[in-house]
Amino acid sequence: MAVRTKTEIVLEQRFDPRACRHSLNGRDVVLHCHHFVSLYTQLADDCALLDAKRLLAEVAEDAFGAALADYYAQHGINSIADRFDIATQYYAACGLGRMHVRCAGPDSGSVELERSHVDEGWIAKWGQRPEPVNFITQGFIGGMFAAVMGRPPRSFRVSETASIVSGAERSLFEIVAQ
Amino acid sequence: MAIDRKRIIDALSRVQVSADDYGLIPAFNVFVNQLPCSFWNSFAERLTRQVGPEMLEAAEWLLVDAARTCGYHTGYGIITSEEWKAVVGPMIEKVPEDILHGAFAVFTAWGWAKSEIIELVPNERMVVRAYDYYESDVVTFGRSTKPSAYMITGVCAAFMGLAYGGEYDPAGGAAMRAFDCVQTKGIECGDEYGEFVVTRAQN
Repeated sequence: MAVRTKTEIVLEQRFDPRACRHSLNGRDVVLHCHHFVSLYTQLADDCALLDAKRLLAEVAEDAFGAALADYYAQHGINSIADRFDIATQYYAACGLGRMHVRCAGPDSGSVELERSHVDEGWIAKWGQRPEPVNFITQGFIGGMFAAVMGRPPRSFRVSETASIVSGAERSLFEIVAQ
Repeated sequence: MAIDRKRIIDALSRVQVSADDYGLIPAFNVFVNQLPCSFWNSFAERLTRQVGPEMLEAAEWLLVDAARTCGYHTGYGIITSEEWKAVVGPMIEKVPEDILHGAFAVFTAWGWAKSEIIELVPNERMVVRAYDYYESDVVTFGRSTKPSAYMITGVCAAFMGLAYGGEYDPAGGAAMRAFDCVQTKGIECGDEYGEFVVTRAQN
């Protein structure tokens, strides 16, 4: 069996001293911390005004899916394996944790989180809880699958079936085309 | 030595933001992330636009309160961090005013807003101007019908609470809510800069 070489992501981090803005690979990014992520996640979880958990996942899907699709186009990343390599490294570069894509096809997939900024930040702030909190990664994975497979946003439904925040050793996400 | 904003921004904007082997970025006593500005803006804008006019104030309060809570705890983490002690610590002469000015230099270096204090009445009132901030990106044409800098609004109130609200309270509480902030101008609304007025909380 041939040994595959991992495709390394190219990261261009810049600070514009005139506008005082940071960018990562040409997109404006901002430094925040686990407090802010936890509080937005809590806001989404508690919000009675609308389904803000879904909203948080959708904006993550849109933002990260677009960033990945741009990267693939700009760097000519065409194979599915290479695209997942780039996506998981981009997830880590954002400080969101360590992700492993266990399997993927046009209709389904499975993703594990070995470490998670969202879950571990939540635990550091408020402790464990039985329900999942990682709506941001749920959206990231939906955007990642859409970008990797060349499909539009909302092509995949992502469910978190095990969670670090609930005491699991690793978080597990199941993906199915819709 | 007085607070040298340029030196702080130069030094802290160069802090290498790179994840460890586990995809985590520990710095300033917190776990840092660097997410697209569009992600944060989209959530705030879609939330406040989808809830309808009658619930707008409630949605805005939630966003500002999240930022206030973050600003209070992260602000404390920043001003007690080794990075702060090394860069800003030697410049502090007058406490807590110099700490506040230094905190807004860090605020700028992190890419939250190119901002500074333009008026400070100790223990009473603070006015902050922001000349560039990512929350104004919600508008790319025309003028917004509402100000959108919820994060800056909450963090301004929190920083004032850290300075004059009493001893840091890990549980938040009264110290964190000692001050309120109102955004009075916004680039997203067609103004040249964003302006944020912080005063003692009324209740």
